[in-house]
Amino acid sequence: MSTRLVSDIGGKPAGDIPREERRQLFWEKQLIAVVNLLSSKLDITLDEFRRAVEEMSEEEYGRSYLYGRRLDGWLRLLFENGTIDADAHAARTAQILASGSRDHV
Amino acid sequence: MTADHSHSHDHTHPHPVNEDDDMDLTEHEAKFLALKAMLIEQGILDAAEIQARVEVNELKTPHQAARMVARAWVDPAYKARMMADAKQAALELDIPVTEAALVALENTPDLHNVIVCTLCSCYPRSLLGEPPAFYVSKAYRSRTVREPRRVLREFGLTLPEETEIRVHDSNADLRYVVLPQRPDGTEGLSESDLAALVPRDALIGCAFAKTPS
Amino acid sequence: MSEVAFADGARVRIVDLGKPGHVRTPQYVRGKVGVIERFGGTYENPEDRAYGRGRGTAVQLFRVRLRQRDIWPDYPGCEADTLEIEIYEHWLRPEPTGEAQ
Repeated sequence: MSTRLVSDIGGKPAGDIPREERRQLFWEKQLIAVVNLLSSKLDITLDEFRRAVEEMSEEEYGRSYLYGRRLDGWLRLLFENGTIDADAHAARTAQILASGSRDHV
Repeated sequence: MTADHSHSHDHTHPHPVNEDDDMDLTEHEAKFLALKAMLIEQGILDAAEIQARVEVNELKTPHQAARMVARAWVDPAYKARMMADAKQAALELDIPVTEAALVALENTPDLHNVIVCTLCSCYPRSLLGEPPAFYVSKAYRSRTVREPRRVLREFGLTLPEETEIRVHDSNADLRYVVLPQRPDGTEGLSESDLAALVPRDALIGCAFAKTPS
Repeated sequence: MSEVAFADGARVRIVDLGKPGHVRTPQYVRGKVGVIERFGGTYENPEDRAYGRGRGTAVQLFRVRLRQRDIWPDYPGCEADTLEIEIYEHWLRPEPTGEAQ
């Protein structure tokens, strides 16, 4: 059998389906807008994004959720094509986390 | 949301209200904020276009697909066009469509369609907005193709054995929307009253249209 | 445009190309037999498109209808239940008429 993608879960045993409604967070709405704009400006296809997500480890994928995967997949693509510098992004993230504030963005 | 939230400092520029300002900053959000700041500083995006896009996306709600369903219920010619090409049928109602192709699936007493994307979270976002939590959950993605009757029972839909269940794996370039059965007792209702009977989950095949109260 | 590779109603087998990297044919339908429900259009091959636009050749996409019993021998539903999935032409082979296994 060929290698199974981490995202290829159709038919696998699984437990209860979560039925609680989950409100979309403010930053998640902004993320969607940002990636919508980037995909047309940078001409990045849906399959490139899907592929970036599939490069996650099984463990990473297993504990991820939709918007986390969207963010991480896009970051992977933007690092890969040189749009965003990964080190600078890590430093900026650390700075924001340390400040605990959303206001300086 | 907090009732008495206020900023401790003045902003020199207006920006949209973050309704989650009372929540702790998570690592994911911080990573996103860092990305957004860098994209703006590098001149790739600007804050105004991001906000404009958020507003465009907010118009994508299940009400759009519900309008199509209501029209299809009252207008057989429209229904025929929707079954032939759901994208054209959406455009006809001035619903902007970004998907390459949309396919409408008609539920009948003999056939019940239900939609899932096993590989990711493909969803007819132009017609329904962002997918609900259950739809993107790994449990729904894994189980719906394997034991759809059990999954549907968990959603409160028990279908007779004579009804064929048809699962649609939305795995590639097409997107789907379910045309639910018109409920009894809805003769003479206006299109907008009919649209109000179509909940989001009925458009995925995980609920029936509601009967008027 | 080239001719459509499979007619509606044609019996096909979804093959396992064993191809590494990004593909859109999930494991659970590989090796299974179904019929063409409709031609779904022509798209740039996602297996190449996943590494940048303009790299892939155009491929035809088909909607394939399978009986659940043919996918899962112990399927816990009804005989008539079906599943439909989108498969690109290079994952499909004509299948001789006969009982699906």
